[in-house]
Amino acid sequence: MSDWRAPLISAVCYRDPKAALRYLEAAFGFELTMLIEDEQGELVHSEMRFGNAAIMIGNEWSEDHKSPSSLGGKNTQTVHIQIDSDVDAHCARARAAGFEIMMEPATQFYGDRTYRARDPEGHIWTVAQSVQAVTREEAEAATGLKITGWV
Amino acid sequence: MTSKVYVALRVKASPQRAFEVFTQEIGAWWRPSALFQTTPRAPGVMAIEPGEGGRFTETLANGKVFEIGRVLIWEPPGRLVLSWRQANFPPDMHTEVEVKFEAVGDETRVSVEHRGFHQAPAESAARHGFPNALLLTKLAEYWQAQLRAIRDTVTP
Repeated sequence: MSDWRAPLISAVCYRDPKAALRYLEAAFGFELTMLIEDEQGELVHSEMRFGNAAIMIGNEWSEDHKSPSSLGGKNTQTVHIQIDSDVDAHCARARAAGFEIMMEPATQFYGDRTYRARDPEGHIWTVAQSVQAVTREEAEAATGLKITGWV
Repeated sequence: MTSKVYVALRVKASPQRAFEVFTQEIGAWWRPSALFQTTPRAPGVMAIEPGEGGRFTETLANGKVFEIGRVLIWEPPGRLVLSWRQANFPPDMHTEVEVKFEAVGDETRVSVEHRGFHQAPAESAARHGFPNALLLTKLAEYWQAQLRAIRDTVTP
């Protein structure tokens, strides 16, 4: 157990999790806080932190735990990162770390500026920064959607 | 290849201060654990003699001094490597602890890497019957507790 654990943590599977530790740090500034390797140098468990959040980076440890690169690129969930400054610079850093930018930073109707990137094993990440205050009425008018739970 | 347990934590201090706390105040902040007993006796007081070759010791209540290891690398304020042998290790088992102090803004990232613990034989008291993955996870938690103690020492 870490000194602290968020109530919700994503555990993400990689074929080469040790490479992922390197490019997730380079791209997103995630900080390695725990790494356990067996005597063959294989990763047993790892955790990275980002602000007040954490993520576990693991291997394909069972038949039902696979990286998108073993599944023809398919993702069954994506991880979202919310930052509070300069999403464009964040995107440039991800690109420099070898991530494929699937959608360049663009301001969305709900007031966030967002980009979407694919890491070298095909995991899709979204990153957003809130750049404008938008009311529920404005968002509904802009989209025709009925929005519940917007404070 | 060797097994490796790595943990890291940021502390609100300079690398110099963190290095000093680690090496000079270890007697105050060290958190003993029944799982990773250095000796069969009640926990004593840890100390590190500065400089390469310095002794890494635990002084027990009866005055006896147990040598856990030696300072293998002494590079203040960035790096410290200690050898680590518990009393319950078999004679041919040697492990190593590398501690790094890296400045991150006005904080310091203190990391510990403990290598070689997988060598504990199946019947060894140092293993408690744990398979490797569990043993190494427990070792990581043990060092996380030490890092928290350092953090709480530098920022009381």
